[in-house]
Amino acid sequence: MATMTPGVLGSFVHVDAATDAIRALKAQGHTDLTVYTPAPNHEIEEVLDHPVSPVRLFTLVGGLTGCAAGFAMTFWMSNDWPLLVGGKPIATVPPYVVLGFELMILLGALSTVAGVIIMSVVNARKRVPYSEKFSDDHIGVFVPCRAEQAAAVESLLKRAGSVEVTHAA
Amino acid sequence: MDETQDTGMDRRRFLTVLGVTGAGTAALSGCSTDRVQKLIPYLVQSEDQVPGIPTYYASTCTECAAGCGLHVKTREARAIKLEGNPAHPVNAGKLCARGQAGLQSLYNPNRVRGPKNRQADGGTADIPWNDAIAEFAAKASAAGGRLAVISGAGRGTFSDLLAAWTAALGGRVVRYQPFDHEPMVAANRQVFGVAGLPSHDFASAKFIVSFGADFLETWLAPVENQRGFAASHGYHDGTKSRHVALSPRMSLTGMNADEWFAIVPGAEAAIALSMAQVILAERSSAPADAVALRGMLAAYAPEQIAQQTGLTADQIKLLAREFVSAEPSLAVAGGIGSQHAGAAQLCAAVNILNYVAGNVGTTVRFGADLDAGDGYAALAALQKQMEAGEIAVLVVHEANPVYALPKSSGFAAAMAKVPYKVSTALVLDETAALCDLLLPESHGLERWDDLRPRAGVQSLMQPVMEPVFDTLPTGEVLLRAAKAAGGPLASLQAASWEEYLKARWQGVAKARGAGDFPTFWVTTLAAGGLYDAAPVSAVKLAPGAQSVVGTSPAFTGEGEFLFAPSASSLLYDGRGTDKPWLLENPDPVTKITWQSWIEIHPETAAEYDVREGEILRLVSASGSIEAPAYLYPGIRRDVLSAPLGYGHTSFGQYATGRGANALDLLAAPGDAAFVPYVSTRVRLEKTRRYQKVAKTEGSNRQLGRGVAEAMSLGAARRGLTPEEAHHEEAGGGAHEINTARELDAIAGFAAAQKAATLKGNYAGDHPQWGMTIDLAKCTGCSACVTACYAENNIPTVGEADVLRGREMSWMRIERYYEGGEEGEPLETRFVPMLCQHCANAPCEPVCPVYAAYHTPDGLNGQVYNRCVGTRYCSNNCPYKVRYFNWYAYNKKAFPEPLNLQLNPDVTVRARGVMEKCTFCVQRIRGAQNAAALERRGLRDGDVTSACAQACPSDAIIFGDRMDPASRVALSAADPRGYHVFEETNVRPSITYLAKVLTGAEA
Amino acid sequence: MAHAYTPAQTHAEVTRDVVATLGTPSRGYVMMLAGAVGLFLVGLFTFVMLLKEGLGLAGYNPPVMWSTYITTFVFWVGIGHAGTLISAILFLFRSQWRTAVYRATEAMTVFAVMTAGLFPIIHIGRQWVFYWLLPYPNQRYLWPNFKSPLLWDVFAISTYLTVSTTFLVVGLVPDIAAVRDQVSGWRKKLYAACSLGWTGSDNQWRHYTRGYLYLAALATPLVLSVHSVVSWDFAMSIIPGWHGTIFAPYFVAGAIYSGIGMVFTLLIPLRKMLRVEHMIVDYHFDNLAKLTLFTGSILFYAYAMEYFVAWYSGNPFEQVTFWRRAFGPMWWAGWSMIICNAFVSQLLWFRKIRTNLTALFIISIFINIGMWFERYVIIVSSLSNDYEPWAWGQLNPTWADWGILAGSFGWFGMYFLLFARTFPIVAIQEIKETIPFPRKRGGH
Repeated sequence: MATMTPGVLGSFVHVDAATDAIRALKAQGHTDLTVYTPAPNHEIEEVLDHPVSPVRLFTLVGGLTGCAAGFAMTFWMSNDWPLLVGGKPIATVPPYVVLGFELMILLGALSTVAGVIIMSVVNARKRVPYSEKFSDDHIGVFVPCRAEQAAAVESLLKRAGSVEVTHAA
Repeated sequence: MDETQDTGMDRRRFLTVLGVTGAGTAALSGCSTDRVQKLIPYLVQSEDQVPGIPTYYASTCTECAAGCGLHVKTREARAIKLEGNPAHPVNAGKLCARGQAGLQSLYNPNRVRGPKNRQADGGTADIPWNDAIAEFAAKASAAGGRLAVISGAGRGTFSDLLAAWTAALGGRVVRYQPFDHEPMVAANRQVFGVAGLPSHDFASAKFIVSFGADFLETWLAPVENQRGFAASHGYHDGTKSRHVALSPRMSLTGMNADEWFAIVPGAEAAIALSMAQVILAERSSAPADAVALRGMLAAYAPEQIAQQTGLTADQIKLLAREFVSAEPSLAVAGGIGSQHAGAAQLCAAVNILNYVAGNVGTTVRFGADLDAGDGYAALAALQKQMEAGEIAVLVVHEANPVYALPKSSGFAAAMAKVPYKVSTALVLDETAALCDLLLPESHGLERWDDLRPRAGVQSLMQPVMEPVFDTLPTGEVLLRAAKAAGGPLASLQAASWEEYLKARWQGVAKARGAGDFPTFWVTTLAAGGLYDAAPVSAVKLAPGAQSVVGTSPAFTGEGEFLFAPSASSLLYDGRGTDKPWLLENPDPVTKITWQSWIEIHPETAAEYDVREGEILRLVSASGSIEAPAYLYPGIRRDVLSAPLGYGHTSFGQYATGRGANALDLLAAPGDAAFVPYVSTRVRLEKTRRYQKVAKTEGSNRQLGRGVAEAMSLGAARRGLTPEEAHHEEAGGGAHEINTARELDAIAGFAAAQKAATLKGNYAGDHPQWGMTIDLAKCTGCSACVTACYAENNIPTVGEADVLRGREMSWMRIERYYEGGEEGEPLETRFVPMLCQHCANAPCEPVCPVYAAYHTPDGLNGQVYNRCVGTRYCSNNCPYKVRYFNWYAYNKKAFPEPLNLQLNPDVTVRARGVMEKCTFCVQRIRGAQNAAALERRGLRDGDVTSACAQACPSDAIIFGDRMDPASRVALSAADPRGYHVFEETNVRPSITYLAKVLTGAEA
Repeated sequence: MAHAYTPAQTHAEVTRDVVATLGTPSRGYVMMLAGAVGLFLVGLFTFVMLLKEGLGLAGYNPPVMWSTYITTFVFWVGIGHAGTLISAILFLFRSQWRTAVYRATEAMTVFAVMTAGLFPIIHIGRQWVFYWLLPYPNQRYLWPNFKSPLLWDVFAISTYLTVSTTFLVVGLVPDIAAVRDQVSGWRKKLYAACSLGWTGSDNQWRHYTRGYLYLAALATPLVLSVHSVVSWDFAMSIIPGWHGTIFAPYFVAGAIYSGIGMVFTLLIPLRKMLRVEHMIVDYHFDNLAKLTLFTGSILFYAYAMEYFVAWYSGNPFEQVTFWRRAFGPMWWAGWSMIICNAFVSQLLWFRKIRTNLTALFIISIFINIGMWFERYVIIVSSLSNDYEPWAWGQLNPTWADWGILAGSFGWFGMYFLLFARTFPIVAIQEIKETIPFPRKRGGH
């Protein structure tokens, strides 16, 4: 664990204990917390008060690109080698709406996933300690701090109701 | 001639050896005898063989006795299509399905591939031609007067040679074909004292009565009959002829009648005489000598005989009056459908009817002397001799009496009494199978020959390619045998059969005063023969006319039903059954393929609880047959019918074991002068076994959908459209019609759509190919179907796949019934259905890969290579004219050497792709290329589709609809024109012209 | 939501119970898997024979150019729709009851669409060139025809497969991480690789929940569009019986109806087999049954409307098609569709039936059969008697039709069973989301 980010990791089984701790930490200027939960939790989201995820921009740009690509592809390909079918115009809007729509969804969805991955990786704090209990029923709060602050943080966490506190250095 | 080169047949040779062109002299002597030993194709190019360019040779069809002229299309020295010779007087460029299928006789995989003789163990072994001819010569000369020949060959140099050859040995030739028209010959002798067969002018007849004479199927010269019939019966200049058919079963001819009367079998003669009686009683203009018949005819006054005929006295009178008031009219009899024991008397009665109506000399012309054989009586006499052991050597040439005669006649047993039998059959048929020596004849397209089918017509045949197998013209065999045998045959010497034939033609040239024989020969060969007008000889009533009787013949045997076998234009007497094209082309009447069947009236079927497909057993005193039931409203309730031509026991892989032989039910003809086909009563037995009938008919009613439109003669005269005619008929009730604004909007939208299509190749002016099909002329003969198969390499799929509806016929003839229920008269309408090349084709936009698309010249193109086989196009086609390759039909349908028939200009489609009518695009492009080489535009008539070219009725016209002067544009403007399913707005390129109906009142 | 269902479990119990489903397989499971593989092999053999001999082996009888393969294609596409409805649409509607069943239904979606995707390839005449339907640059400079509904299908189905697979995988990641943290050895390594480094940190949840929401938002119109596009394969044609404006909603309702039927068929035995009866309970089935009743009633209306429109239009082609659908040679298929779908679904008005799993299972079998027949009737009966009476013909399916149908069930079942034993078939994370965390101050 030599490469870990130095700090203190506290585990909670009670959600109000965790929110208390987070509130207290934030009040003390510890804003750069990493909070683990087995499932998304509104109370914790509330106290963390993060800005809205920029993933929606990925969705928007992907969707618009897909839609434009769908129409551009169909119109260009139809006119690249004009072939007459069924007495209909060479390039027609109504049938191509379907393709514009499908590509909008496809690219929108793929770019959303890409957005989730990219944003998660970009914003992630590297080498944060983790416990397997956090995927089960514990809430983890990691407070990055220098060794000299560790004791104060630990006592804060314990006060809030942490069931277990470990130090990473 | 180098005889040693005759062995070592190599099929590849016909790629290297050239036929003889009708236009060039250089290769004339090269074909039939000199054989190239090495494969050096086109190293030295022949002047009349250009790779990729077809060469045409004139020849003569040998598929029946009519002797139609052929143009044989060859490519790279192999025949690929048979077409009619436009110069020939019999068929004038048209050809029936059977004639076209002659190609499958040439390339039939079942052909006897070389001379064989019978071994001690009963099998056969290949022998060299020299040995075979030596054996034949020795046996024949040893037989002397105990030699007999049965020949089905037509009249010509060969039949003369055969007669001379046989006579020289003291033997005799019996010329026999199953449908030999013996009753007509006998009747002509009785009534007019003339044995010959007259020609019949259907084209100028205004009223045609057919007494069971199936003139569109097997009667005399069907193509010629059909041409004439369509010319008069088709709607033209505000009029059309009327056709009434009288027969117990509605044949194809009956289906084309304006009225069909299901008369009592055997009553035809009485009706004919009764009509004559009415005419003589009511008209004074009858020929003077006919008046003498009044006494004899008095017994046939309509009131007296009506009861036994199935007609009322008034109907007979009306018929007679219509008949005589139409000048000229024509009555015909003597077909297979009415060939009962009284057939000769029927023909005689009809002769009298024609005579009293003044038709003899106008529509019935004696002097044409149509080819007829010696008749069954001669064959029966020979059979007696055979049975008596008086025949030592029997030669059977172009005849198959063991199959064609009823089994009860005992001909096979008589054959067994002949110690040595020789056959020249192309395929090992039932008769050849009993022979000791097989000297397979070269096909008509592989040999020199000529025919004189009628007075004035001398039709030539020439080899168009190397023989497919190791065969010889029988004329050559006779000459070589004469040389080998010497003795009485010594006088029959010629260097070769070709030289022999030419020698006779030198005589012809001299008689005509032709100066330079080579020029005469080449010109005649190119024309296909010499065509002079047939002389017309006047005939008078002979004393025999007084003794004509109209009593019904007796039908033999027990049973509730009379059995009336039918002969179709496809299988004829059974000689068509070995050709897949003819087996898969549905029977024009029942639309059944690959199977035989038993026709039963729906009401009779209900009475016996018979459903379609139940295997019925018909039992007569002579035998029994089993076949699936087909419920046919066009047959009398007391008559059952089955097709002739099936039930071969030896006739190659396609025919053998297929269906039941209707002849098995017939009693031995005995001393009759002809085989009475309609003579036997049968018992009907149910088997309660069922079989699916391989028919192409889905629903035989069009449910008012306007596929096959018809209108009355009056409506046609007034220039009504079919829709207007319907409207008027329906009493002109309320009818939704678009307002002018709506019509404007529709037209505006269509114009805007059209404007948005004119990009790339589509910009500019292009021809728009189109077609009109005149249903007033179409008889449903199905010649176009075979033409399409031949031109476009359409595979036959076989019985199992037809049962699943998978036949590939790009062009099909739909046969819809109208009426026929609750006492209404039964009407039949035929619609040739093919790709309509719609301007707004629904098949095109649904194809995901543009395999179906529209060409600038208005064709609905199908790119086989691009097709992935989603089959959506077929689903979306309202006409259902797209066909899918469910299997690799291209591999199964053309076993060697049938593959040689394939048209190299047309792709053979692979498995998994959709195919359909292309409007013969290869012909369009070929004509465009040819015109471009001549630096000119296309002219109307430069291109025609294969179907239009073959159509004996001239019902189909093909051309550029954009050219206002073209025949197709002019005929499409006919008010009778309509589009099938016009309401779908697919805008087809095919315009149908409504059929025109004439009722009795017209 | 006073009556909303809340699992009476703790977070730890959820993890434990779900991870337990991934333990040693039961004997019943192994036998079912073997059966599925067996059926798949039957289908594989049939397909090889079709490749070797040609489509003629199947019972195609022109004019019926599409038959059981397209029927089964539409059937499986339809099955997929229920999964997306439950996982995406109900997610947007915040219907919490979906949490217990959505993972199974979403897996069903992916495998059903995977199965369906095979059919266009099996069905075409030249299976080896199916990729010609894709717009890729080739030597011939040819592009596909985007006017063809089949091309729309290619895009719709492939988009649907991609998006629903993505949706499934995205939803799985936190659960796989949960499993990862409970197992050991090679399995830990495997799940660790599949969990893509998931820790459940606030940063991950923040982007993840947003992304998941947008995916659901995209999947919702997609699921409606896919079966609409499939319905346009028919409705865009001019065939009487196909050419109907009602088709898109009619097909979407039918798809969801059939999909929920399949959910019943799968989940009722599966919950027993995987011992999750306490997690997937009557409450869920009751709600699913209400959805079934709703969509079944839409079908009832659509069937009635089809007949009404055929009669009211005065179009003889339509009239004959519908007359023959009810009284023609295929009457048995036509009536089985109406009885199984329109009438059987009406039984679900009764709460007793909705909560009786045996009854639901039997009804679900009827639904499966009825919905297969619905497509069979629409496709085959419309094609067998369209415009040209002369060309009418009846389909007679052969072993090659049944072989592929059986093979498709084998192929689907094989994947579904393998999935159910490999990945959490009940969504751990979403269930946990519905369970309140304990509070040190007590109460909720």
